[in-house]
Amino acid sequence: MSEQEIREGMLLAVWDEPPLDFDPDTLIRRVEQKKSRRRALVAVGVATAMIAVASFALPGLLPRDRESQLGSPTDTTASSTPPSLSVYGRQKKIGDALASRLQETRQDLKEIYPSFDGFRGTTFKPEAPLQPIRPDSDDMYGFLYFTDSIGPTALLVTMGDAVSTNDICGAGKPAFCRDVPQQDGTVVTEAEFQEGPERVKAVAMRRLPDGKRSVIISAYSHNPSTMTGYRQMIPVNVDVLTALVMDRAITWE
Amino acid sequence: MRKADEQGFREFAAANAASLRRTAYLFCGDWHTAEDLMQSSLMKMYLAWKRIKDLDNLIAYARKVLLRTWLDEKRRPWRRAEQRDGELPDAADASVDPDTTSAKLWARELVHTALLQVPPRQRAVLVLRYFEDLSVAEVAVAMGCTEGTVKSQTARGLATLRVIVEKLDSSSGRVAS
Repeated sequence: MSEQEIREGMLLAVWDEPPLDFDPDTLIRRVEQKKSRRRALVAVGVATAMIAVASFALPGLLPRDRESQLGSPTDTTASSTPPSLSVYGRQKKIGDALASRLQETRQDLKEIYPSFDGFRGTTFKPEAPLQPIRPDSDDMYGFLYFTDSIGPTALLVTMGDAVSTNDICGAGKPAFCRDVPQQDGTVVTEAEFQEGPERVKAVAMRRLPDGKRSVIISAYSHNPSTMTGYRQMIPVNVDVLTALVMDRAITWE
Repeated sequence: MRKADEQGFREFAAANAASLRRTAYLFCGDWHTAEDLMQSSLMKMYLAWKRIKDLDNLIAYARKVLLRTWLDEKRRPWRRAEQRDGELPDAADASVDPDTTSAKLWARELVHTALLQVPPRQRAVLVLRYFEDLSVAEVAVAMGCTEGTVKSQTARGLATLRVIVEKLDSSSGRVAS
């Protein structure tokens, strides 16, 4: 077989060539799509790498547990260190005692349980943003949840620096506000507030024997933990709150 | 890419797509694969068009890209796994006169059977030398090797092809010239 025959053979081999359906514009479009896909892929890769690097380099910026919150208006020591286990244990013990005492006092209430998660708001303004409680503090701020015939709601339970009777009485328009001496020598300030004919808030505040600390339990005509569930009347009156702050089973100090 | 450059590429692709596909067919022996190879080569050229548009011999560059694309494709695992060991049944075409087309059929047989049994690089040298009519120097550029390598690959490719064609002819009863 000569070289000429090979040459002719190859030329003949393509004689039955199928028609060519080739459009350069389609090809260009495909290339451009491929390019944009590749760019997008690179962009996603770079963004992922940057997020990964940032999360390792700036651990303080990302939440590591449920106690820390981004943008908390507080000092870093308090936000990065959750309350110690002993504080949790003490608060849980007090919360459980309050729940059982409330159940004894008001047997019609259901699903009673406490919640103290290491954060606090402003005592008289439950709608204020929460801030972490410092681990070395024995302050308390939490809720005693329950469900009555109207629906679920909660009492606000706080313990902190001593509060005066005037502070309590001046926080609204009181229907009454009085100091009631107790058998153990302490004094409980009782107050109920009203808007129009309805009682919208009840407060029982007990100054602890050292005189430096106060325990306050408040009932609202709404759920103070969610600022929802508005109702006409407060769910419990001030007598119940006084029974709670005065419960002998609870060691507040 | 600028409109003028894009138009230049469009014209080049439209003018050379058919000849590139024919060359690709002789490399691979399958029109579908040939079309894929041609399109892949042109896509690569489009991406590099800004850099290559002013080359003296663009079609030589295109052949080089086509050859590399085909050799790369052959190295892919799914291509490696492909075995052409089956025999296609002969089906007579009643609409075609056997006497007038025997030469063409024999040529097609030459490509499909004989040329495809030649090792890839030797096959590429034969196609570029005898189908594209390139000189030894041009084939060396396209293959990215020395002229001496082109000559030796050509000689080996021709020898292999002749042996295979002889075998085919003796099995089919045809006498090779």
